[in-house]
Amino acid sequence: MTITQTIVREHEADLVVREARQVADGVVAIILAAPDGAELPAWTPGAHIDFVLGDDLIRQYSLCSSPSQPEAWRVGVLRAPDSRGGSERVHDVLAPGSIVRVRGPRNHFPLVASSRYLFIAGGIGITPVLPMIAEADAAGADWRLFYGGRERASMAFISELAHYGDRVIIVPQDEQGMLDLESVLGTPQQDTLVYCCGPEGLLAAVEKFCEKWPPGSLHLERFSAKPQEPSAAVDSAFELVLQRSGLTLEVPPDKSVLTVVREAGVSVLASCLEGVCGTCETEVIDGDVDHRDSVLNEEEQASNEYMMVCVSRCRSPQLVLDL
Amino acid sequence: MSTQSSSRGHRSEIHPRNCWYAVATSEDVSHEPLGRRVIGTGVVLFRTTDGTAVALEDRCAHRPYPLSLGRVDGDRIVSGYTGFAYDARGFCVHVPTQSEIPVGARVRAFPVHEDGAFVWVWLGEPALAGLRRPPVTPWLKDPNWATLGGEWETNADLLLLHENFADITHVAVVDPYIAPPVLRSSPPPLEVEVTETTVSFSRTYQPAPLPEWQAELLGLPADAAHVQREQGAFVTPGLWVDRWDVHVDSAPNETQIHTFRFTHAVTPISVGRTRHAWRVSRNFALGEQAGKALLPIFTDYYRRVQRILETMQNVLDTDGSRKEVNVSADAAALQVRKIIRNMVADETGTGSRRAISGVNR
Repeated sequence: MTITQTIVREHEADLVVREARQVADGVVAIILAAPDGAELPAWTPGAHIDFVLGDDLIRQYSLCSSPSQPEAWRVGVLRAPDSRGGSERVHDVLAPGSIVRVRGPRNHFPLVASSRYLFIAGGIGITPVLPMIAEADAAGADWRLFYGGRERASMAFISELAHYGDRVIIVPQDEQGMLDLESVLGTPQQDTLVYCCGPEGLLAAVEKFCEKWPPGSLHLERFSAKPQEPSAAVDSAFELVLQRSGLTLEVPPDKSVLTVVREAGVSVLASCLEGVCGTCETEVIDGDVDHRDSVLNEEEQASNEYMMVCVSRCRSPQLVLDL
Repeated sequence: MSTQSSSRGHRSEIHPRNCWYAVATSEDVSHEPLGRRVIGTGVVLFRTTDGTAVALEDRCAHRPYPLSLGRVDGDRIVSGYTGFAYDARGFCVHVPTQSEIPVGARVRAFPVHEDGAFVWVWLGEPALAGLRRPPVTPWLKDPNWATLGGEWETNADLLLLHENFADITHVAVVDPYIAPPVLRSSPPPLEVEVTETTVSFSRTYQPAPLPEWQAELLGLPADAAHVQREQGAFVTPGLWVDRWDVHVDSAPNETQIHTFRFTHAVTPISVGRTRHAWRVSRNFALGEQAGKALLPIFTDYYRRVQRILETMQNVLDTDGSRKEVNVSADAAALQVRKIIRNMVADETGTGSRRAISGVNR
């Protein structure tokens, strides 16, 4: 009997850099297009793409152009000396005319419909928020943006935000100190969505304030894995059943579920391999999941409906996935 | 812990609104009002004097009488009951019994995009219509392609139609006559490609004979083997596009590709009812005779599918939803479900999409 194989992958293409421009201290805006001028895949605010810079070097960047422009994508890249070298590579290697392989787009940070929004952006976290503001504004929603950064010169796209007037509150740290989250989030509001993107310190603080807000108010995007509590337990092996493929496999202590699934020839999407980007999210049919990702919130983790197979494991003897 | 959530991957009762739907063909829209229902909303379509297609809510602001039962007068539509007249933006511009227009006398006007074959209407947040690319189907008006087709209302939900388009291995089961023989044997690997908003799939078959009717059409021997390739794409909830290529070696080192393109413009009328406009375009055997021979073959196939879709909808309505077993070949269909489900979650704020995600620097 022949086994029918299905290969699922994300859209991948070689795009050409049309423009690479320094838009703030340490921030470069890169405009990408198809070499033949063909339309690029449609996306919505909050979407990001992978830059495939090498076998081991894949970095995610939010799209900050407009979904109405099908012929080009724009991303903003922050040079970060302590990242795994990806951003340095981007700055140094990508000049107008160079070709970059991209994957996606995908979106795990979509703009959900609401009549009111509070946008909170820190540093490069402004990139996914820019197109969100354009849509919230066009839809006539009531919104405010609080945009914090080290100093004005390091904060990108301030000029693009100027036409929104006093809905945008710029808070450079050297001029005004840290963003006053107490005044922004201190009083929980109904029918208001809070969107936040920026460094871990900002995200952790916003999460804390929003604990008192109605459930589902807060939408976050993280740049890097949340610091995890080191686990005292040793990883154990468990049985893995892939329902759709009809396979039963063994996940040893030293391999991820993702690796075992791929070694068995079953296709599953993945990108960051750190439990951060949400690409490998898989539906769980049965099993007590040991969540080790930075994507799902406590409620989502407790429901055991989904797991990030690149990092998470299983506490019970058997894990059944919809793969 | 068992995780049988009934909200996951199953039949949604709500349809996405922030996307374009082909509410009518260009031929259908004229200086006579045309009434259609889309996602449980009445829409009236007509053309102004310069030919621009307009879509308004099909209900007079004065009394609950459909504007589609009225008449078009120049650039306005006039109610057939109390004579209120509306302009292309939906504003009331005339009331028979007084010179002042009452405050708030207006009907919803929907953004419209016309691409020569279909009139696409946006039922969602109007401001977003300009921020989302409208679907285009240029081959339907391209003289290098001959197009035939039909349309009807199917008593089955939008999602059932998309899932049917997403996996064509059913063709050999449902209609052995139309099906290329390759579909009857074990298929080669299915390649599925996803983006945030689209899903496409493809398979390339090893050389195999064509179905009888196609070999005849192309004037090829019935048992000659040709490389064949299928491709399908979910473009938007309102549009599915397929192609079926046959590679024919017309000379040494020269291959001609004879292609069928299938266009499915699908519009949800209400839960469990969908308008389906299907088109089959070909870049070979362009003459009228070939079209006359092909129309009944395709009509028969699509009618069979319609009956199956309606039967499934009936089972769902009578016996309810149930967790279904999937196989690897369902990958494209499941991705389509996910995209549609996520669109609805974003539009209604029900948050079944992930609320937190991460992006590396």
